Amino acid sequence: MRKVFVSAVLLSLASLAAGPKFDSNKMIGGASAPITLEVFSSFDCPHCRIFHEDIEPRLMNDYVLHGKLCLISREFPLPAPAHPYARDVAIYATAAARLGKYQVVADTMFRTQNSWALSGKWWEAMATVLTADEQKKVQALAKDPGVVAEVNNDLAQGEHDGVNSTPTIFLTAHGQRTALPPGSPNYELLKSLLDNSLSK
Amino acid sequence: MTSPNGNILRAGALLLRVLLGGIFIYAAWTKLHTPWEVFAISIDSYQILPLRAVELVARSLPWFELLVGILLLAGLWLRSAAVATSLLLGVFFGLMVRAFATGQQINCGCFGPGELISWKTLLRDGSLLAGSLALTWMAFVRRRRAA
Repeated sequence: MRKVFVSAVLLSLASLAAGPKFDSNKMIGGASAPITLEVFSSFDCPHCRIFHEDIEPRLMNDYVLHGKLCLISREFPLPAPAHPYARDVAIYATAAARLGKYQVVADTMFRTQNSWALSGKWWEAMATVLTADEQKKVQALAKDPGVVAEVNNDLAQGEHDGVNSTPTIFLTAHGQRTALPPGSPNYELLKSLLDNSLSK
Repeated sequence: MTSPNGNILRAGALLLRVLLGGIFIYAAWTKLHTPWEVFAISIDSYQILPLRAVELVARSLPWFELLVGILLLAGLWLRSAAVATSLLLGVFFGLMVRAFATGQQINCGCFGPGELISWKTLLRDGSLLAGSLALTWMAFVRRRRAA
């Protein structure tokens, strides 16, 4: 009994040491990469779109493809009523992640952000990159308490970490987690930060 | 014998020195314990300096804040330290007002990342600027009285 208790405590400590939990379907790059960037974002946030479309592809080419960086998307849907669709889109994108379709859905939602954020027709935008069968599965998964809980957990984790604006990025290197100032950072500065972290 | 007004002035100056000195040292520490690029990203979000200047400011300003904080706490070169504090806070406050007035939702960069410019930060930095100007005035008045 005592051994079981000790093992449970050790496992808990190990999971705490591993840092906040995240969805592996929302991860780009290997978990063994020396540095990790967690990006808390909202699909209707213009600065998140800039990060997704301008910064992420450069990170992919310069770091992720070389096994140096792991990029993790975390949901931080901005609150209603100012952001009426952000939460639903986050939940459905998380549902799509269960089918391995997160990146393609994220690309589409950010690319068409200007349109659906005004019209409210976000499902129509998302559905364009899903087959009929996938659409049904995503709609069913979006009602899954586990999917909703994942979005809620990301949101709670962000609030716990002091996120008050999107995108907010956390850099983890050498076991240390550092928050970057909110917003889409200048790529040269971000690159310098990552290069210095890698060279330590 | 010291006049009551002189004692009040001295006590007020001491209080402001400790307060501003402590805040400057804390502000420097929050920047120096993270990589310089983190502060540089905050400075860059104000969109007023070219990248080279952003790097220079990000690398040097925290050390200057630390120096000013130590001088204020120690009471050394008080007039120079008080003037430097007022100038720094004047520039910070001006930039924050400009960002707030133009609707930029950016990190103030005052005490590390995560603090958006708001009425609260403006009130705080405005109060610090007022305190710093009062300290500068006291430092010069005391010097004139001593002479």
